[in-house]
Amino acid sequence: MTALETASVPAATATPALACRGLSKRYGDVVAVEDVGFAIAPGQAYGLLGPNGAGKTTTISMLVGLLRPDSGTVLVGGVDLAADPTRAKAKIGYVPQEIALYPELTGRENLRFFGRLFGLPRRRLAARIDEVLDLIGLTDRADTKLGTYSGGMKRRINIGAALLHRPEVLILDEPTVGVDPQSRKAILDGVERLVEEGMALLYTSHYMEEIERVCERAAIIDHGRIIADGTRRELVSLVGTADKVELVLDGDVETAFAKLRAVEGVVEAARTGASSVRLIAEGGRYLLPALITAVEGSATVTATQVIEPDLEATFLHLTGSTLRD
Amino acid sequence: MLRALWTVSALELRTRLRDGTAIVIAVIVPVTLATLFGLALGGDDPPLKATVGFVDLDGGEFPASVRREVMAAKELKGSVTLRDLPSREQAGRELESGAIGSAIVFPAGFSKSVGAGKGGDVAVLKTPESPLAGVVASAIVDRISAVVDARTLAVRAVLRAGVPGDQVKELVERNGAAGPAIGLADDPLAGGKIDLSVYYGSGMAALFAFFVVGASFRGLLTERKLGTLDRIRAAPVAAWVPVAGKAAVGFALAVAGALLNWGASVLIFGSTWGDPAAVTVVLVAHVLAAAALTMLVTSRVRTDAQADGVIMIVSFVAAFFGGSLVPIYNLPGPLQAVALLTPNGWTSKALTELAGSGAGLAAVALPVGVLCAIALTAGGLALLGFRKGLLL
Repeated sequence: MTALETASVPAATATPALACRGLSKRYGDVVAVEDVGFAIAPGQAYGLLGPNGAGKTTTISMLVGLLRPDSGTVLVGGVDLAADPTRAKAKIGYVPQEIALYPELTGRENLRFFGRLFGLPRRRLAARIDEVLDLIGLTDRADTKLGTYSGGMKRRINIGAALLHRPEVLILDEPTVGVDPQSRKAILDGVERLVEEGMALLYTSHYMEEIERVCERAAIIDHGRIIADGTRRELVSLVGTADKVELVLDGDVETAFAKLRAVEGVVEAARTGASSVRLIAEGGRYLLPALITAVEGSATVTATQVIEPDLEATFLHLTGSTLRD
Repeated sequence: MLRALWTVSALELRTRLRDGTAIVIAVIVPVTLATLFGLALGGDDPPLKATVGFVDLDGGEFPASVRREVMAAKELKGSVTLRDLPSREQAGRELESGAIGSAIVFPAGFSKSVGAGKGGDVAVLKTPESPLAGVVASAIVDRISAVVDARTLAVRAVLRAGVPGDQVKELVERNGAAGPAIGLADDPLAGGKIDLSVYYGSGMAALFAFFVVGASFRGLLTERKLGTLDRIRAAPVAAWVPVAGKAAVGFALAVAGALLNWGASVLIFGSTWGDPAAVTVVLVAHVLAAAALTMLVTSRVRTDAQADGVIMIVSFVAAFFGGSLVPIYNLPGPLQAVALLTPNGWTSKALTELAGSGAGLAAVALPVGVLCAIALTAGGLALLGFRKGLLL
């Protein structure tokens, strides 16, 4: 069961770890982000989905204080980012999309540098560096130069540098781009553990399965606007509840196809091959017995596949493009 | 916030020292170039220690007075040595061997001729290998010529007035046109007041200050490309911290480099730059102006490669027109005016003043003020530019 399926809406009374409202940013006539708003409770993981150029990075840049919004507010743990940026930023751990580290320094030196920027006292910082290195599984390589690390190891240090000060909210911008499966698993495991420990998470990714695994809620952003927001079930419901049913038949396929079209609940039917048909049916998985019975006497069903609507389909439905476009 | 500033500065300093660029650009290259320029173009034994041959075929009062005046001139003490030589031919040989840098030859009967109001010719022997000694000898002879002209004129006037010949000398001397008071104090080296080692030492210090501070500001663009700049800005630090952190290190390295250039010039050539406090203030003001200008460049370009190119152009243009590469007095008149549009020009002017006159801080108040004004103006424009992308 994915995180998105088990989501619960946070209590409205809790102070969100991160909340934004009415965020807008224009570059001349180009609208980069318009009226974006959402809230993430402590211990909640929130996904931000959108194709390239949709406004994800601009939104994140405004959330972490790199970009001043034309309008709108950002509250981090209840602190207004515009009014008190230093206090608000101290609550954020930001992991940029690119490897934003110094290649000439070792992993430990990189962590020490960014930890000092967050004002951690020397001894506490040293202890936290060890903890973070352990968390990201790089204790053994901590004292070698970053330039010698693999892409996955650099990604892990990239994340580790944002965790030293125990942020209330962790913002991850495409954290697994270009990493090997082993590092990806390590990153996702670590992120899930942090969320379990109560850290709020804002996660953007091109990988739908990562969002489904890690995030309880997600927003779909396109052309600078959030066009859908909710749990997985809520998002998927936007494309309806019809399942896609694929059948392989043996016998008089033509007659069987006509019978299948007549079954109550079948919305749409199409021949996809000499012996295969595709049906769109409300509650398709429950309709299977009726479909098998319907073709009796004309053909027998030799194979079935029921495909439920997913985020990919939702995304396609809402934006007209796939996430990897 | 100071801790964050220190953290950024410490990393910058460590990076610059670790990769060796700071020491190479701030010290090794400028000191080496200044030394080479000093040796190659100074040409004397060593610069401002000119040995001038003195050939007195006259044996009269005039050459003796000239020798006396030159030897007594405080400004030339330790710098100019007169070496008596018996003949013009001997002087030529000494000149060829490099034993002397130039020679002044008083012909036989010179004093008598001047005393009679007929004037006289003093020869100067020079060699291209020792331009400074040639300048010294020419300056002395120019003064002699002026005195000779004055005396000749006076004698002729007195004779025309009908004064008896045996009273002419006394009358002329009594009225102040007698002695060869060559008065070299005001213009010891026509064409250049300071030791060339000072000139090139300060010139290289001024030029390389641009590169040293420029490297730090260029680093901002490199960090923007790496993404580390955004990461620093996303931390709870003030927007000015990354810029100030790098600026502080660039400034400190450039000042240290300029001071080391000064020290090297003193150690290698034994040259004197002038009042230490005033020299320090001028160098600091120059580095401030250079920092602001390179910061302005960095704020207006998009990439570190662009920054490299533009900083190099700005540095060399300012160095050339500002007299860091070619002495200002060697530039054509209009270009000498252009020199004052560059920080290098004002720095060169100030250091020339300090080295040439022995004056103190008050004498360079104007150049220092102009350098500070350049720094403020360029710095202000740079900050406006930084707001688009590097700060907010």
